[in-house]
Amino acid sequence: MSALLELVDLHVWFELDGGRELHAVRGVSLSIERGERLGLVGESGCGKTTTALSILGLLPPNASVSGRVLLDGVDVLAGGEETIRQRRWVDVAIVFQGAMNALNPVRTIGSQIVEALELHQLAKGAAARRRAAELLEQVGIPGDRAERFPHELSGGMRQRAAIAMALSCNPRVLIADEPTTALDVMVQAQILELLDALSRDFGLALILVTHDLPVVAQLCDRGAVMYAGEIVETAGVEALYHTPRHPYTRLLFAATPDLDGARSDIASIPGAPPRLDRPLQGCPFLPRCDSAFAPCATLRPELRVVGDAHAAACHLNGVPALTEA
Amino acid sequence: MSVVLNEPGLAVEGEPVRSRGGFVWRTVRRRPSATVGATLLLLVLLGAGLAPWVAPYPLHQQVGPVFGHPSWSHPLGLDDGGIDMVTLLMWGARISLVVGFAATLVSMLIGGSIGLLAGYFGGRTDVVLMRITDYFLVIPDVPLMIVVAAIWGPSLFHIVIVIGILLWTSTARVIRAQVKSVRERVYVKRARSLGAGHTRILVRHVVPQVAPLLIANTVLTIAVAIFDETALSFLGLGDPSRTSLGKIIENAFQRAAISSGAWWAIVPPGALVAVIILGCSLLGGALEDALNPRLRVAHLSARTFRLRPLVGRSAESI
Amino acid sequence: MRGADYVIKRTAFAVLTVFVALTINFALFRLAPGSAVSNLSRVPHATQELRQALKRQFGLDKSKGAQYVLYLKQLVHGNLGISFENQQPVSHNLWIALKNTLPMVLVGTLFAIVLGTLTGVIAAWRRGTLAESATVTTALSFYSMPTHWLGLMLVILFTGILPTGGMSNDFLINPSFWTHIRDVASHMVLPSLTLGLVLYGEYTLIVRSAMLETLGEDYILTARAKGLTPWTIIRKHALRNAMLPIVTLVALSLGYIVAGAILIETVFSWPGIGRAVYDAVLQRDYPMLQGAFLLLTVSVVFFNLLADLLYFKLDPRITS
Repeated sequence: MSALLELVDLHVWFELDGGRELHAVRGVSLSIERGERLGLVGESGCGKTTTALSILGLLPPNASVSGRVLLDGVDVLAGGEETIRQRRWVDVAIVFQGAMNALNPVRTIGSQIVEALELHQLAKGAAARRRAAELLEQVGIPGDRAERFPHELSGGMRQRAAIAMALSCNPRVLIADEPTTALDVMVQAQILELLDALSRDFGLALILVTHDLPVVAQLCDRGAVMYAGEIVETAGVEALYHTPRHPYTRLLFAATPDLDGARSDIASIPGAPPRLDRPLQGCPFLPRCDSAFAPCATLRPELRVVGDAHAAACHLNGVPALTEA
Repeated sequence: MSVVLNEPGLAVEGEPVRSRGGFVWRTVRRRPSATVGATLLLLVLLGAGLAPWVAPYPLHQQVGPVFGHPSWSHPLGLDDGGIDMVTLLMWGARISLVVGFAATLVSMLIGGSIGLLAGYFGGRTDVVLMRITDYFLVIPDVPLMIVVAAIWGPSLFHIVIVIGILLWTSTARVIRAQVKSVRERVYVKRARSLGAGHTRILVRHVVPQVAPLLIANTVLTIAVAIFDETALSFLGLGDPSRTSLGKIIENAFQRAAISSGAWWAIVPPGALVAVIILGCSLLGGALEDALNPRLRVAHLSARTFRLRPLVGRSAESI
Repeated sequence: MRGADYVIKRTAFAVLTVFVALTINFALFRLAPGSAVSNLSRVPHATQELRQALKRQFGLDKSKGAQYVLYLKQLVHGNLGISFENQQPVSHNLWIALKNTLPMVLVGTLFAIVLGTLTGVIAAWRRGTLAESATVTTALSFYSMPTHWLGLMLVILFTGILPTGGMSNDFLINPSFWTHIRDVASHMVLPSLTLGLVLYGEYTLIVRSAMLETLGEDYILTARAKGLTPWTIIRKHALRNAMLPIVTLVALSLGYIVAGAILIETVFSWPGIGRAVYDAVLQRDYPMLQGAFLLLTVSVVFFNLLADLLYFKLDPRITS
């Protein structure tokens, strides 16, 4: 059974001033099955958002990409912007951070949903407007709000409206980039419940990009931890929390006092991620690692299978005596 | 992301503005538009500044026929008095630049002070000063300059004052906005709590932070001041005893240079003014951009991201 | 009505500003030293009756305070005095001059807006390419050219091809309607073109700047994610939002165009408001000068108000 969505050895570079380059995503590979919920976790700057954006080809002009993005086995990245454009929203849709100005402020919400429907020829005119109202109802917004402008809605409502718009063309994968950041706790819980229900009802695969671990624990089946542009560990959520096989993951989850309770931030590991505009030597996590040993300084750890549906990129896993049980 | 991307190929790591002079020099080095602008201005300043020593002919001496054609010895021909155009331009640039700088100085002093006071003290002072600024903004400058120059009489000094009195409004607004944001900064508040007086705070803390913006604004104002002087001279309201670039154009216009076919009496002086204004606009604009923290990457542009051939490293996926 | 109080507030402010402008006008002309300025009745070659009438209307022998009141009263009646130069009511002269200026200015402005928007959008769209640098450099160059010099350059270039002076051909005897229109139109080409070229540079920069700002907004990324074509995104999302600052700035600049037309009308001997101001200065025709200045100031206030109201209409986020 081939995966619904597969990223194969994705690299993204950004051009910098003076001819330098920022190697923001360094060989990321992921696969998503139908209906699966994956959490992409890491601190700011680790490349998780860029990875997510690459799935839809939403990169800025100074970016270059290599690798493959396979949707139903077909490489959608190969044709460049124009080819990807035709496949956007219908197969994979995205919802951005709630605090962002993600909805056009001078157009009504309804008209923006209708725009998506009409573009992908799912409905037109009055039928489209009706469908838009239906979609809003589905996410818990009264249908008559379609005539309102984004600024007339609260942050939580705007986020729901964005979700409604994302679902309008019945995608099979929904990418949510920090969907709960900048929302207050009550609203966060509602949004997560909404995503949970929608994903179950419509068999929607979810890619949740976040730095908020409890969110991943609550909503996702699997998690992929990113650091310095690479995936350093991927496993089921339970395994990540109970049996992490990478020091970064361990420190991350240890820094979270209560997995089901209050959210916490990842800033509790001292030190900072490495600069990505220079080549890296050895393990990128070395300066902040509490278990570093001889090979870490010179040899780059590769992502290796370490258990059932569990992979990690750490030299410790190659040494039986040092592996944590 | 720790890196903010703005223009294609340009990344700024959020540097705070440190030294003033350093800031100008850095911008000129980094941004091509600033380099071009600064070079143009430098060339003009050199030509004008060195005029007494470098000008090819004496300023008031007729060296040929009226509206003499351009030739090897007079590359830009002669004006309506038979004076060499190149010489005239160099000396004319001196006057124009002096007027431009002086008027800008007046405008900067007024506008800067008002902006500083309004932004720093806020409250009623702010409201009153801004109301005054709004009224001044509404007055159309060219007509007012004409009227005042007509009533007051043409002289270099009057021109400078008249121009300066009208240019200060945009400076005041810009400075006020900047002062307001600086005022909220921690070190200012700390200085206040330590009992430092207003003057001390203004001079030691606020002004240095506002200075780069003031410099950018000054350069842009010079462009307008020079334009205004040219306009006034053209309308016959300039100082008749000094031959600024604007006056050269006016003379040529009045003495029917066009119908005589003497385009060289009109085109070069105006072109020189255009070069000065262009130089100031480029430099001032680049300085302003460098101070502007609103740096963003365009989400849409003709250029799109590029594809690279697959990198060799094999990856396992789970 | 949404934001009725906003509209009322802005209009009230505009009215207040006009009032202040009127007062400044009065102060400038009546209080300035020299009886020639303050004495509106000193119309050359005027009859004694006319002088007496003017003295009465404007209270020129009374105190300054009383004069001010009478000045306002006369303004309400549209009486701006009698021109020294042609003994006609100032308001009449100004009206004719205005009728001459407006078409020329409108054509030039329209040209500038259209060309400026086109080049501005192109420059923003082709960010970081040669097309952008070329567009911006050209725009900046035209923006840097002194208005009157550009006019003179056009005269030099087009002498013999297009009329370069006046508004119509004085030698046409009793022209038909269409001949007259064509004649005026051909005279209007160069002055309008001058205005258009001087303005378009500024508008290019405004549009480009507004578009760049807009293109960096998050909803543009959303629009792109939805699969919209670039052209649709620019039209329906970017321009719609960029219109707000663009309209404001353009409306603001309109107020100054009429003033800037002074230089163009002088070069091309176009009998409009600008020229009227210039002639009034030369001829020391103070009533005309005062009236023209007043008119120009009021037009600036008017366009500022227009800009405020337009912005309010276009931006649904402003509610009060």
